[in-house]
Amino acid sequence: MATELEYDRSLYGIEHDAGPFEVTESQIQAFSRGIAETNPIYTDAAAAKSQGFQDIVAPPTFCTIMVHRVSLPDIGLKFGGKPVTGGMHAGQRVQARAPITAGDHLTASSHLKEVYPKTGRTGTMVFIVWETTFRNQDGTVVADVQESFIRRG
Amino acid sequence: MLYFEDVELGDEIGPLETEATDDGVLAFCQVWNNRTPNRFTDQAIAEEANLPGPIVPGIMSMGMMARLLTDWAGAEALKDLDVVFRQPVPHHKPITIAATVTDTRQEDGENVVECDILMTGAEGERYVGGKAIIALPSKP
Amino acid sequence: MYLDMHSHSVSSDDSRATVEQYLKWIQVLRKRGHVVDGIVLTEHRKFDYDKDYAALANQYDVVVLKGSELDTRYGHVLVYGVTEPLTKDIDFGNVAMDTRELLKAARQHGAYAVPAHPGRFGIGLTEYIQQGEIFDDVHIVERLNGGSRKGENERAWELCDDKGYLGVGGSDAHLTSHICTCLTRFEAKISNEADLVEALLSEQFQPVWLEDTTNNPTSE
Repeated sequence: MATELEYDRSLYGIEHDAGPFEVTESQIQAFSRGIAETNPIYTDAAAAKSQGFQDIVAPPTFCTIMVHRVSLPDIGLKFGGKPVTGGMHAGQRVQARAPITAGDHLTASSHLKEVYPKTGRTGTMVFIVWETTFRNQDGTVVADVQESFIRRG
Repeated sequence: MLYFEDVELGDEIGPLETEATDDGVLAFCQVWNNRTPNRFTDQAIAEEANLPGPIVPGIMSMGMMARLLTDWAGAEALKDLDVVFRQPVPHHKPITIAATVTDTRQEDGENVVECDILMTGAEGERYVGGKAIIALPSKP
Repeated sequence: MYLDMHSHSVSSDDSRATVEQYLKWIQVLRKRGHVVDGIVLTEHRKFDYDKDYAALANQYDVVVLKGSELDTRYGHVLVYGVTEPLTKDIDFGNVAMDTRELLKAARQHGAYAVPAHPGRFGIGLTEYIQQGEIFDDVHIVERLNGGSRKGENERAWELCDDKGYLGVGGSDAHLTSHICTCLTRFEAKISNEADLVEALLSEQFQPVWLEDTTNNPTSE
């Protein structure tokens, strides 16, 4: 029930910033290897340049490994009066806005989007949703990532 | 080259058959800077978290699913991928990734294809499911 | 009349399908030879009074009805024929609401409540019945659910046989291409939510898989 859910609601509207982080060739290659990506523009700078890119290109969900670099506060979640900690990843959305290439410097800005309860096979859960916007050195938004976490009540 | 006019409602994309290995997950955790051992790499820690064994990180599953779509439509075509992690994904078990075209339309001057995308297991387990939006060029 | 009795649009937190996308997909299913007459949108923990799907329903020739799927103490419950008095009486956002109270209140206010996926592990009605709970006001359950894992629809079937419950079918779709994987075949014609409640009270319906519907006129 909504009234049983307590957390720090003052977090709404606050942006948490981090960066800039340099995107390196080796990071992109390691990420591509991790997802078994073999398209040469994601693994080889020469191939990427021959297709008109500045440098090796990051696969479209690359920013998902950088979201955690933003230091996010504990929302102080309590359900029915009891603190609820831990959590598993419930869902993710990536909107790829512009290509990311090696040599880019990205900044990240995150805010709390939503907190709500629901029930399922494993009991009562609380969903916590954070949104993060990534911009490159030109101020261009390169990606928006939305992450949803479950905590069990 | 895949063109917008080549795509029809109901078209099936894939399947891509794959598997997550212990080494692959460890390598992913390293580039992710997620300190190991953790529930993605270690049996005991996974069991403490009420999991049957170490699982595949959600964002690694997501990356693999994106691969199906970039292979199909090209590197810059994937605009939006939105997924729900329904069941923990185990290591060393067959994984199938497939998508179905559910909408084709013009939006803000772009040719947009929308599809449902699923990652499933050998027994039909629905591991990860969601939606993707892809922009395609028109035939010249 | 074939209706999908359980579906979620983007109005539900975990769905990624719009109503229009569902209706477009139904055209694909019809082209493939299936019979689909309508869907009921049963959004999580709310009833969308303000949403009007009449224009889309006309455009795509699909009946679109609205209902809800509520979280309760003893599992999820589908509610059909939601009325204002019902939403005043029961807090649809209360995930721990009393299931029996909901079932009674629904009937009192002209609606009908049906336990969803009763065979689902961890949260289906069968779990609570096995623990000794008794539900005198249950007569109809969702016997066929398109989102079920292996064994869950079978458990729902056994429950129906055991308790003499009638069964409806629904897809539990959260993605466009999952709409209408399971349906309910009604003898009556249904054009609105009040007709649907009447049809449930008439007890003339069966759950069916999409594969068992066909628009081959000789197969009836």
